[in-house]
Amino acid sequence: MTNTEDLPEVNGYSRVSVLVSAVVGLAVAALALFWAQGFRLGYESLYRVNPSVEGGGIGSDWVFGNTIPALDFLIALIHAADVILGAFILVMVFIHWAAFQRLADQMREPGESASEAVAADGGSPTHSDGQGGDST
Amino acid sequence: MSNLDHGKFTRVTTLFHSLLGLDVFLLFFTGYAIMFNDELWWMLTLMGGASGVTAIHRITGIGLVALVIFWITLQLISSTGRSNFSKILPAKGDIDAFIQDIQFVLGRADERHPSARQFAGYKADEVPLLSYIGKGVVFIFSIELTLLAISGLLIWSKTGLAAMFQTKAAAMAFVTFHGLLGVIMLMGVMFHIFEHGMHPAFYPVETKAFIPRSMVPEHHGDDDEEPDTTGIERLSLSPSWRTVSTIFGAMTVIGIVSVLIGSIFDEGYPVPRELAIGGGPASILLTIGINLGMVVLGVGLVLSMYGNVLRIRWEQQLERDERPAAADGGEPQTDGGQPEADDAESEH
Ligand code: HEM
Ligand code: HEM
Repeated sequence: MTNTEDLPEVNGYSRVSVLVSAVVGLAVAALALFWAQGFRLGYESLYRVNPSVEGGGIGSDWVFGNTIPALDFLIALIHAADVILGAFILVMVFIHWAAFQRLADQMREPGESASEAVAADGGSPTHSDGQGGDST
Repeated sequence: MSNLDHGKFTRVTTLFHSLLGLDVFLLFFTGYAIMFNDELWWMLTLMGGASGVTAIHRITGIGLVALVIFWITLQLISSTGRSNFSKILPAKGDIDAFIQDIQFVLGRADERHPSARQFAGYKADEVPLLSYIGKGVVFIFSIELTLLAISGLLIWSKTGLAAMFQTKAAAMAFVTFHGLLGVIMLMGVMFHIFEHGMHPAFYPVETKAFIPRSMVPEHHGDDDEEPDTTGIERLSLSPSWRTVSTIFGAMTVIGIVSVLIGSIFDEGYPVPRELAIGGGPASILLTIGINLGMVVLGVGLVLSMYGNVLRIRWEQQLERDERPAAADGGEPQTDGGQPEADDAESEH
C-alpha cells in the first residue's frame, strides 16, 4: 500500500515511486539529449522553413525529391489517418456540443430563483427539463 | 453548490497533467509555426524566427521525453499505476455510452451514460475512473506522444537521420511525417479543450484535472433513497455560457477543419513536385482558420493556468475552513495544512 499519511488519497502514488520515476525520466531525457546532440553531421544545413522567412529552415534548400517509396507510403498513410481521425474528432465535438446544449437546458436559467426550480418539499426536483420526458 | 464534482485525479496526476499540457502547447506553437509558416508567420517571428522556434521545439521536446518516461515508469512501478491498467481498457459500457450520447443528443435518452458523464453530481458512485472519451484520449495521446518523441529524436539526431535517409529530401519527408503525426494530437487537444472548458455545469473550466480528489469532499449515504437525477437541474447556468460556448464551439470546429486542410495542402512536402517555394496555396480563409485554431490552443493554455489558480484558491479556502473545525473535536490534521478528505475512508 502507499503511504497514506503523506498522500491523503488512498490510491495515491507513494513518494518513492514518484521520485524514482522522476529520476528515470530525467536520466532517459539526458541520455536522449546526449544521443541526439552527440554526433554531429551537417544536418543543420537541411532547411525546412521557407527561404522567404529570414534564416530559412530545414528543407528549404533541397534539390532532389524523396526517393524512398516507404516514406511516401508512410506519409500517405498518416494523411489518411489524419483525415479519418479528424472526421471522428469532429463528430465527437458535435456530439458534445449538442449534449452540452441539452444539459444546459436542464439547468436553471441565470435569473431563475431556487424556489422556482426545486420542489417546495426539497425532495426530488419536479422541474421539467423541457423535453417532456419524466426522469425515472 | 460549487461547481466541483468528484475528481478522479491524484495530486501527482494533476501536476503531471498541467506540466504535460504546458509542454505540449509549446510544442504545438513551435512545431506548427514551422509547418504552417505561411499562415503563422507572426508566431514564427515572435518566437525568434526559424532558429528560435526550432530551439524552443527541441528544448520542450526533451521535456516531453522526460515527462513521458516519468509517467510510464510511474505506472509500472507503483501499485496505483498498475491497478489502473484494467480501467483504461475498452469495455462494453464504452460503446453503450457512445450510443447513449447520440440518443441523448437526439432527445431519446434523459441523461448521459455513466461512462460518458462529466457531471456526476448525486450519482457519482456510478461513474468509472475514465469515461469512454477519457479512454480514447488516453490511448490516442499516449500513442501519439510516444511516436512523436521517437520520431522527433530521430530527426534531431543527425546520424540517425543521415544513416536512414540518403537525400535531404528523404530526410525532409521524415520531418513531414513527424509533423503530420502531430496533427492528430493537435485536433484531439482542441476537442479536449472544448470538452473540458464548455461543459455547462463546469464552465469555464472543469476542475477535475486541477484539484486533486483528496481535496474534494465527498458525501455518501446522505440521502436514504437512490437519487433520481445527477442534480444538474439545481445548478444555474452562467449568463455568458450560451454565447461563449457557441463562439468557442465554432472556433474549435473551424480550427480542426483548417489544420486538417492545412496539413494536406501545406505540408511543404513534396516541394519539388510542385516547386511552390514560398508556400502552398496561400488562402486567406485557411490562414484565418489556422489562426483561430491557435486561439483555441491559447484558450486551453489559459484555462489550464486558471485551473491551477482555482486549485490554489481552493487550498486556501480549505485551510481557512479547517482551523475552526478542528477546535470542536474534529479529527486532527496530521499532515499539516493538507486537509484530509472524506474519501480517505470511504473509498475502498
Ligand atoms: C496539451 C494539453 C493537454 C493534454 C495532453 C491533456 C491530456 C489529458 C489526458 C490524457 C487526460 C485523461 C483522459 C481524460 O479523462 O480525458 C486528461 C483529462 C482531463 N483534462 Fe486534459 N490535457 C491537456 C489540456 C487540458 C486543458 C487545457 C484542460 C482544461 C480546459 C484540460 C482538462 C482536463 C480535465 C478536466 C480532465 C479530467 C477528465 C475527467 O477526469 O473526467 N486538459 N487530459
Ligand atoms: C506534441 C508533440 C510534438 C508535436 C505536435 C510536434 C510537431 C512538430 C512539427 C509540426 C514540426 C514541423 C514539421 C514540418 O516541418 O513539417 C516538428 C519538427 C521537429 N520536431 Fe516536433 N513535435 C512534437 C514533439 C517533438 C519531440 C518530442 C521532439 C524531440 C525530442 C521533436 C523534435 C522535432 C525536430 C528536431 C523538428 C525539426 C525542426 C526543424 O525544422 O529544425 N518534436 N515537430
